[in-house]
Parts: sequence; structure tokens; C-alpha cells
Amino acid sequence: MIIGEQKPLDEIMSLLGNARRVLVAGCGTCVTVCFAGGEKEAAILASALRMRSKLEGHPMEVDEITVQRQCEWEYIDPLADRLRDYDVVLSLACGIGVQAMNERFPETITLPGLNTTFLGLPEEHGVWEERCQACGDCILGITFGICPIARCSKQLLNGPCGGSQNGVCEVNKDIPCAWQLIWERAIQFNQEERLLEVQPPKNWARSRDGGPRKIVREDLRLGEGE
Amino acid sequence: MAEEFEPKILAFCCHYCAYAAADLAGVMRLKYPPAIRIVEIPCSGRVEVGEILRAFEHGADGVMVAG
Amino acid sequence: MSENGYKSGSNLEKILRAGYFAVTAEIGPPQNADPEVIRRKARLLKGVVDATNITDNQTAIVRMSSIASAVLAMQEGVEPIVQMTCRDRNRLAMQSDLLGAYALGARNLLCLTGDHQSFGNHPTAKNVHDLDSIQFIRMVRDMRDEGRFQCGDEIKGVRPAFFIGAAENPFGDPFDFRPYRLMKKIAAGVDFIQTQIILDVPRFREFMKRVVDMGLHEKVFILAGIGPLKSAGAARYMRDKVPGMRVRDEYVERMEAAVAGIPKEDKKARKEAWEQEGIRIAIEQIQELREIPGVAGVHIMAIEWEEAVRPIVEGAGLLPRPQV
Repeated sequence: MIIGEQKPLDEIMSLLGNARRVLVAGCGTCVTVCFAGGEKEAAILASALRMRSKLEGHPMEVDEITVQRQCEWEYIDPLADRLRDYDVVLSLACGIGVQAMNERFPETITLPGLNTTFLGLPEEHGVWEERCQACGDCILGITFGICPIARCSKQLLNGPCGGSQNGVCEVNKDIPCAWQLIWERAIQFNQEERLLEVQPPKNWARSRDGGPRKIVREDLRLGEGE
Repeated sequence: MAEEFEPKILAFCCHYCAYAAADLAGVMRLKYPPAIRIVEIPCSGRVEVGEILRAFEHGADGVMVAG
Repeated sequence: MSENGYKSGSNLEKILRAGYFAVTAEIGPPQNADPEVIRRKARLLKGVVDATNITDNQTAIVRMSSIASAVLAMQEGVEPIVQMTCRDRNRLAMQSDLLGAYALGARNLLCLTGDHQSFGNHPTAKNVHDLDSIQFIRMVRDMRDEGRFQCGDEIKGVRPAFFIGAAENPFGDPFDFRPYRLMKKIAAGVDFIQTQIILDVPRFREFMKRVVDMGLHEKVFILAGIGPLKSAGAARYMRDKVPGMRVRDEYVERMEAAVAGIPKEDKKARKEAWEQEGIRIAIEQIQELREIPGVAGVHIMAIEWEEAVRPIVEGAGLLPRPQV
């Protein structure tokens, strides 16, 4: 899922500037599960903004609302009428939700309240770690299910660099060396030879480097006038 | 001279212990300042951060969760 | 391969192919634009080594360009080994720099992944890693031997024909994978290897045994890394703090013992005692490493201590350097 982290209150205050009427919009999917931008967090942030602005001598009117998913038109369309009552929307969705709001409601500015951090999973309650960079050309099939693009600090495709020691990355001892993990999996399945082939340079054209990526499925499109 | 500051405190008290203790205090004729307001809750685990903040927003100087 | 049978015709290649025990060293470019720094270091190494590495933003700290510094070294009569990392350049920049470096006379290249930017003075920089070091080696080999750019297009005209080097850390983990990684570099087209600083000879011997058992030493020249110790503190730091380093306690103890009886206040005497002991250890190590099958030379990394290279090479009986 998408993992996010709330921006510091100071930064949010500075983004809001002179706005007097603010709608904090939570999202009920990924960011709810990672405790960053769901219904509860929206209520807490709204309260914090009311108090902070009051203390600073220019109280804001802050309400909150949470929709199931800010990244789909069907879920945000019902907000249309409500938005007229506010100067800005502070979205606690990921960057996709923030953009969806701006795109669907161009007359209203929607600001981000979160930093969208990565695609990952909760390793344990309260600890999340990245697992995927959506590079567009999955290599997990040749790396025994461990992604060096997301998990190796240098995105190496042909084995560990010289900085791997005692199973951890040279960058930080809290980062397990992805290639150590891959190597161990290869041994587990007796398939070390699969790692001995030189992997050619990656096709980064399928990653983010070519503008926004797009998938069109004609079999799913509704078409016009049908 | 400024008036002496008397904090307004909201106490969330668990029905089974803290609230029962407050009851007992009443029976024993013990006094506590009138600025303390007690909200009885079924369990202190029920209290949400949002509710504590709401208390502050509405003018509480302190919030106590007892359970 | 060119008509004279050499891949690049560099001095280093000739020395190694002639079967001499090669000696290389290292020059770290300055964090400013002063050419004199390179010239001075190069003069210290002239006639002492067969070629010298010119580091590329080592430890991710911005320094004078490796290629520009290499040109300055050549002007002083020292053959450079241009280091290039995958950290700072994508495949376009790498190839363009390779064409330029060759045009300016560089003939040796060391292909590196690069230290992570978080260690350096621009930790908020974006790293590139478009290629890894093994893909990099293959790209350089294909430019030389196939006359093709990485994309497959033909190089019309002069091909950059480098003697291709790479690094290997025999002390990195997973230890069992290390010889295979070397094998992959050979498959990708590497000609010579310089190892990480060796301060754990038994472990290196074990690594080399596996390399020789796999026959890899016949396909690549391996230069063992020497890092003269400058003080007991430096030895401890390398043992305890540098990722991917293994330092045996005996070296730390010898460095500590070197200043026994010298009062702490006498900094000059302590420094001299340490430096002498550091040079002595390096000389002994070269003699020890020379005996290990598969070792074709040594690479002396006297970081910011280029003065130490001559006494070490001389002490190891490796002067004068052969002319080929």
C-alpha cells in the first residue's frame, strides 16, 4: 500500500497562509491503514489547526471530512457542493488524492497535508518499510522475490557492492543488505547459478523518467455513446 | 493584581474504578475544586486523542484520563 | 585487440602482460581548482609506480574532476587510471566522458559503483546508478571491442580503447558470493582488479584460494590493496568504523606499541614513529601478498600521504620500475 507521513504543523500552517475556512479531507484507504490521513488523523489535525490559529490570533474555521478514496472520481464527486464553503482543502490523502482533488475541483485549491513516502508494508505495528518503486519492469522473478530497486541503496542488479557487511548496508546498519537477502534465498532454493548471469542495464524508460506513465485497456474502456 | 489562576480540568473517569472512587470521595465528604469536571466513560481505553483535543479547544486547561 | 596485441597499450597493461609485479597508487584530487595539488602528488609518484588511480569524488565529496586531474598527472609524466563511478552519471554522461578521457590520452579506467552520497558533503543529492559497475564494465568493453555504444549504435571512427579495471572487496559480505561477483566482472570484460585495503591477510588468502580454484586469476590481473596505517587511531577507525573493512587486531596493537615510551606531548616523535611503523607494516605486507598465488601486483592507497609510496615501494624491493 501507499505509506504517508503527516507534514509538520509549522509547514502546514505556512502552506495554509491566510486561508480562513479550511476543510481537512481525510482518505479512508491506504493512509488510514498507516495512521497518517484517515478519519481520526483528520479530526486531530483539524483540532490542532483550530487551536494553533486561535493562539496566533487569527482563528481559522476548520472542518473535516473523510472519503473512502480520494483517488477515484466516484468517491470525491459528492464533495462538490461542500467545497464552496471553504477557501482551501487540506488533503490528507497521498499525492494521487491531492492531485485528483485539484483536477476534479479546479476552482478550489487542495493542499497536501502529508508527505507521500513510499509503497511498502507494515513490518510490525508502527514500523513501515518500502518494498516497491513501481519501476514498471518487475524483476522479482529473477531476484527471488526481493527487490533490489527498492531495497538496495544503489539499485544494483548484479550483486552486492563492497559495502555489504554482516548482512547490512553500508549506508545504515538498520538497512538489511538486499543482496545478502537475495543470496540467502538463492542458496535456500539451490539456485545460486541464477545470480551468476550478468544482468543487462535496466530499461528505465518504463520507470518514471519518461513523463507520467499510462495504461490504456481498450477492452475495459466504455467508449462514447454506447 | 491578577486573579488567582484556577485551572479548568476535565477528567475522563472509568466507570469501574476512577469514577467509583470519585463517588466514594463524595460519600466520604471529601472536597475537590469545582473547576474539575468529570466525564464518566465505560473504559479509559475508549478515550481518543480527538476528544482530549476537543476538551482543550473548549477551554479546558488540563485533561486527566483516569482508569 | 589492436594490431600490437594490446587492448589499450597503456603502461600498466604492458607491465602486467610482461609478467612484472605491478605497482599502482592513488591520487585524490583537491576540493578546489588548484592544479598544483595534482602536479605535486604526481611528482611524488613519478617513476615509483606504473600508473596511479585518480579518484572520482571519493567518499562522495566534490573534488576536481578525475579526468581533468588525469590530464594534469599525464603532463607530469605519470600514467593515470581514471576512476569513474555509477553514482554521479547516467549512461550518456559516462560514455561521453569516456570518449573525452580517451581523446585526452587516458588509457586506463576503473569502473566503480561509488560510495553512497550519504557519506559525503552533499547527502541530499540524487544518486544516479543508471548502471551498476558490472554493466558499466560491459559497456566499456563493448565500446572498445565491438565498437558499439551501450544502445548498440556503431562508433564511427576512433574507439575508446581502455584497459578496464574494477574494484573488489574480498572482505565484503556475503563472503561466498565475492568470488562469483569477480567472475561476473570477468564475464563482463574486466582486465584488472584492485582490491580493497587488505589488513586481514588470512581472509584474503582464503578469498584468493577460491579465486585460483575457479581459475579466475588466469583471466584477470589482481592487484592487492595496501593501505599504509598512519596512526593507531587510524587503524582503530578503519577496524571499527569503515564499512566493508576488516582489520586484524595485530596491526592495531603494533601501531599502539610503536609509540610506547614516547610521551603524548611529543607529537612530532609519535607521528614519526607511527609513520615508520605504518611503512614497515606495508612493506611486510607486500612481501607476504606477493607469495599468494594469483596476485599480480599491489595497489597502494596512501590517502593524503603520497610521500609514503616511495619508501614502501623501495623497501619492498620494487624499484626501479621496469620499462616496457
